[in-house]
Amino acid sequence: MAADRKPDHDDLIHIPPEMAIAEADVRPEEAGDFVRGTSLWRDAWRRLLKNKLAVFGLVVVVLVTIASIVGPTLIQRIFGFTPDYIPSHDLRLTRSFPPFTGPDGEFSWAHPMGTDNAGRDQLARVLQGGQISLFVAFIATLVSLVIGISYGAIAGYFGGRIDNVMMRIVDVLYSLPYVIVVIVLLSMFRSQTPRGQLILLFIALGSVSWLTMARIVRGQVLSLKNQEFVLAARATGVSGSRIIFRHLVPNTLGPVIVYATLTIPQIMLTEAFLSFLGFGVQAPLASWGSLATEGIANIGIFPWQLIFPGLTMALTLFSLNFLGDGLRDALDPQMRTV
Amino acid sequence: MSSGKCRQIVGLILLASLACTALSCSVVSSNELYFGNPVPPKRNILRYVSGDEPASLDPAISDGQPEARLYMALYEGLVEYDPKTLAPRPALAERWHINNDSSEFTFHLRHNGRWSNGDPIDANDFVYSFRRALAKETASRNVSLTLYLKYAQAYNEQHVFVRDPKTGQFLLAKDFDESLPAEPLSARPLDAAHPEYLPDPDEPNPHPDTAFHQKMHTPLRLTLPGTEKARTKRLDANPKLKAAVAGKELVPVTAEDLGVEAVDNYTVRITLHQSGPFFLGLLAHQVFRLVPRKVVEKYGATWTQPEHIVTCGPFKLKTWIPYDKLVLERDPMYWDAATVKLDELYFYPIIDQHTVMNMYKVGELDAVYNHAVPNPWLHVLQDKKDYMDAVEAAIDYLVMNTTRPPLNDVRVRKAFNLSIDKQAYAAWRRIVKPLTAFTPEGIFAGYPQPKGPAFDPAAARRLLGDAGYPVNQNADGSFSCPKFPVGEVEFIYNTQGANRSVSEWMQAQWKQNLGITVPLRTMEWKTYLDQRSNLDYKGFSRGAWGADYMDPFTFLSLFYIGGRSDTGWVDQKYIAMLDEANRTLDQKKRYELLAKAEAYMLDQQPIIPLDTASVNWLKKPYVKGMYPNAASLYAWKYVYIERDQSKWDFGTPSLAAD
Amino acid sequence: MLRFILRRLLITIPTILVVITITWGLIKLAPGNFYSGEKPLSPAVEQSIREKYGLDKPWYQQYARTMWTIIGHLDFGTSLRYEGQSVNSIIRRSLPVSATIGILAYLLALVVGITVGSIAALKQNSMWDYGSMAIAMLGISIPNFVLGPILVLIFSLTLYWVPPSRWNGFPSRNLILPVLTLSVVYISYIARLTRAGMLEVLGSDYIRTARAKGLSEKDVVIRHALRGGLMPVISYTGPALAFLLTGTVVVERIFALPGLGNYFIQASLNRDEPLIIGIVAFIAITLLLMNLLVDIAYAFLDPRVRYN
Repeated sequence: MAADRKPDHDDLIHIPPEMAIAEADVRPEEAGDFVRGTSLWRDAWRRLLKNKLAVFGLVVVVLVTIASIVGPTLIQRIFGFTPDYIPSHDLRLTRSFPPFTGPDGEFSWAHPMGTDNAGRDQLARVLQGGQISLFVAFIATLVSLVIGISYGAIAGYFGGRIDNVMMRIVDVLYSLPYVIVVIVLLSMFRSQTPRGQLILLFIALGSVSWLTMARIVRGQVLSLKNQEFVLAARATGVSGSRIIFRHLVPNTLGPVIVYATLTIPQIMLTEAFLSFLGFGVQAPLASWGSLATEGIANIGIFPWQLIFPGLTMALTLFSLNFLGDGLRDALDPQMRTV
Repeated sequence: MSSGKCRQIVGLILLASLACTALSCSVVSSNELYFGNPVPPKRNILRYVSGDEPASLDPAISDGQPEARLYMALYEGLVEYDPKTLAPRPALAERWHINNDSSEFTFHLRHNGRWSNGDPIDANDFVYSFRRALAKETASRNVSLTLYLKYAQAYNEQHVFVRDPKTGQFLLAKDFDESLPAEPLSARPLDAAHPEYLPDPDEPNPHPDTAFHQKMHTPLRLTLPGTEKARTKRLDANPKLKAAVAGKELVPVTAEDLGVEAVDNYTVRITLHQSGPFFLGLLAHQVFRLVPRKVVEKYGATWTQPEHIVTCGPFKLKTWIPYDKLVLERDPMYWDAATVKLDELYFYPIIDQHTVMNMYKVGELDAVYNHAVPNPWLHVLQDKKDYMDAVEAAIDYLVMNTTRPPLNDVRVRKAFNLSIDKQAYAAWRRIVKPLTAFTPEGIFAGYPQPKGPAFDPAAARRLLGDAGYPVNQNADGSFSCPKFPVGEVEFIYNTQGANRSVSEWMQAQWKQNLGITVPLRTMEWKTYLDQRSNLDYKGFSRGAWGADYMDPFTFLSLFYIGGRSDTGWVDQKYIAMLDEANRTLDQKKRYELLAKAEAYMLDQQPIIPLDTASVNWLKKPYVKGMYPNAASLYAWKYVYIERDQSKWDFGTPSLAAD
Repeated sequence: MLRFILRRLLITIPTILVVITITWGLIKLAPGNFYSGEKPLSPAVEQSIREKYGLDKPWYQQYARTMWTIIGHLDFGTSLRYEGQSVNSIIRRSLPVSATIGILAYLLALVVGITVGSIAALKQNSMWDYGSMAIAMLGISIPNFVLGPILVLIFSLTLYWVPPSRWNGFPSRNLILPVLTLSVVYISYIARLTRAGMLEVLGSDYIRTARAKGLSEKDVVIRHALRGGLMPVISYTGPALAFLLTGTVVVERIFALPGLGNYFIQASLNRDEPLIIGIVAFIAITLLLMNLLVDIAYAFLDPRVRYN
């Protein structure tokens, strides 16, 4: 029984931090080590590489990214079809086939993920969708990081009235009906090109993703700013912005990274929802969200249309979560909450 | 230790993918006869999805089809749609007489009509319901269908008559408007020598005379807008009219001027200001169904709430939980309650198509609404024995904004029409029929439907060249049209359903045959509607129209006064041609004139016809008495659950009238 | 502290009014009308509808009227899309649906998550531990709009065990899939939190003391370890409930449930002004109060945080 395994303090240090949350948190030799100087990133990288699951996550994310970038071209070279190729010359082909199946139900290597409703290759579409989804998620997360961290840190550091006003603005933005905001946004800036539409999509997604980030950072900064190292910095005449960005922000990275990995699925979900409403990527482009949305509509009869984009998405997020956990542990071994 | 963990996780992922692949292949086995197992419900009920949550239970207000089907259970009018042919059948009116040019209708009500609270139904209920439907305050979405009633438009828009205070005479419309159709019989003084109605041996006096009848039988009076501003504008445009109106008094048009009359307790007479051969069929429409005066006047807008509502149809409201369910139960007060077979009728308001299909498959639904089957599923479901396959009184077409260059040039519009291969399109859509006209094919018996031009890409390229946009053939056989301003056109569509694939298909046709790539743009539904109806789009959009009644005019009137085609095309000659046709008594001759007008409109090409739609839904084989008729409107009182398997439907039931 | 709470409550009122005002403006800016539909309406009919609902008035009069009914009567008016139904009644009807799903999902998550997390902690580094934590990670990784339909595919469309969608009151079999879909993420979180918390506590001195005193293992785990180990879970409940308020939108849509989130989306798409404003105000109040609670909790739990 559990009684045999008495996890004592020494045990904890040797447990690899990958699986989760707190077991590796207590490292006495690093406690209070707030000024890490230039070795912070190299240290973190070294710790990350020790963490096998984080490395696994990193490898998968990199592989998926590479596959998304070169995959569609590769498929075009080998099989001769692009993600938007509809075999319209033959009506028998313009429908959804199960994985590894040819037009007459025979086994075929041509479409390992089956085809969509118009007979387009699902694998090519999933890979091409990966380009959009990863790109959109990356940009929106970046926006959320940049705006959210600055905003939250400033509010938390200055506190008082500034904090109050800034946080009420976040409250207001948080409460606005998002669908209407997007409708108005898109109708006011009517874009004619697919690229313009994509940029609008970034704005639409970025504009909401930073709100929660700002709250989290503010909360962290509030609890950090009265600690000795900040007081010491202030006493030695370090400027406010320097304290915020050199001393406070690095210490909030743990929860920030965890939340950033959570932001990515949230962004993908929102993007899928926007596609569903007609605000997402314009046809014939696809994203994982728009593919999944189409898959949901056909779940009763062509389940592979949801399962493969969904599986790809889940695998990527799974890896991203491991990577995020690993990064969190590597950057801030003190972290103890999710 | 850690590498073992890694291996476990990789293994887990592989296992999950394998399971998913297996699942993918196992779902639909195509050799089943039906989609999902047909197991009849234990009780005598029908569970149906008519579409989204109804806008209102008030039959006068909403114009949607999901609501129309609901109203057919809750309310009744003078006539009801035949379950198969949709022809008007006696309902609260037992029989009727129509005058010789279809401008006056006399209905004889049955004496046993009752509201769900037991009150008797009489002719005054009809007068009240019609007046209410047309009142401006009601803000009914269906007004355009009622405008054939005498003074309906003037009443609805709160116009005024012009009366000479000295003589008491009203100014007449025909003195100021030459374009007015010739006077129908109902506007001429009664003349005993030339009876208005054909003699009926069973009914010696089918049209008793009254003071109101006398009043209706006068030439159409002139009406002017009720607001000062609009009236001044109208008068300034016509000096003759202005002079005539000067010094006269203005009399508001009231509900009492409307062409509907309770001749006695059980006789309703309706007077039109024009000939309306199609009008009898229109009377089954929801806007002409009865609403309970006492309840409406007592509770106002909340009269439709479950605690207040009183109805007159075969079913009455039992429970209504919005976005959950609407349960109707058989109404024992209904005059024909003995015919009603179902005990309860469930309407589930559901938005997403696939949710409806899932529920049908697992047997939570007995039938689904028309067009519930997603297009891509057809090749699997089309052969199932519970798939309903029949022609629909509806068409699909493309709308063009004819007010903007380059599509303001009829040659360009024709070129875009000629370069779409409608045969191939229909084959690709699987269930629709190619169409070159604006009325559905095979719906209106005896209608000499005109034919538009067939697919002819070469002629299309010539036309574009004539319009100043020469099409060149490239070395590889493809075409290009460098001069065509592609930036000035686009194809807008809303995201739902098959719209995207249809738009992509059209884009491919034009690219292939004209060398023009029309940009596509998807948008959210209301934004799309807004841009389309304000002609705030450039180029093309999708259009669809379903019949409101069984006459070609329901399609052709889209370009008539009060109609809105979203093309910007308005043509007085076309309107005059329709008027002439509707004045014609002989049905064959009338159809010929309507067809002539249709051909003229097709030649002007404000739209590009695509197909005659096809009904496209499922019903379990044990649901009987529910037919895939052309408008997907079902007379619920004939629907029943058949428990004897040998009597189940196997395939689409026959629509032949019995 | 009391002053702080009072001040925050007071500031809530203008915040809500700002939210309502911006929302109102956005609705006016959005293209389309609540009455537009597939069948085009004639200009006269449009005019009657606009007059009936007071939309023909100048914008400042419309705004004043909206604000007056809200402030003066605490009433959001009547829905435009759903004729004759008051916004208050729609909220009153749809909130229990969302709440039922949300609370059931969270309760399920607590039971399963704590059990799984405790087992993983007690059998640390065993197959149990790795297996459950990998599954927990997977649970966090599958978006619920993918998970829901897949559950429908397996348990209703293939096995015919449970209905695929629709609300059917409480309790009913219809609840199984939506609650399951919604709870998976929370199960995963709570399992991870419990495991972490338990590990920390199990390694602490007082557990060692308890064991040294000769307490039975059962007593050690239940009396001491579990109690201490659950602290992170308890502090997670606040944000989780806030998430549940928004997280149900997707689940409600997938399973066609008449909850608040579904109404919110539909109202936005329908341009149903009173209903949008009503739901926005309701959600805003709820969010603001929850944030206030979180801030108060911060102040109580973490003495380093000071307001003023």
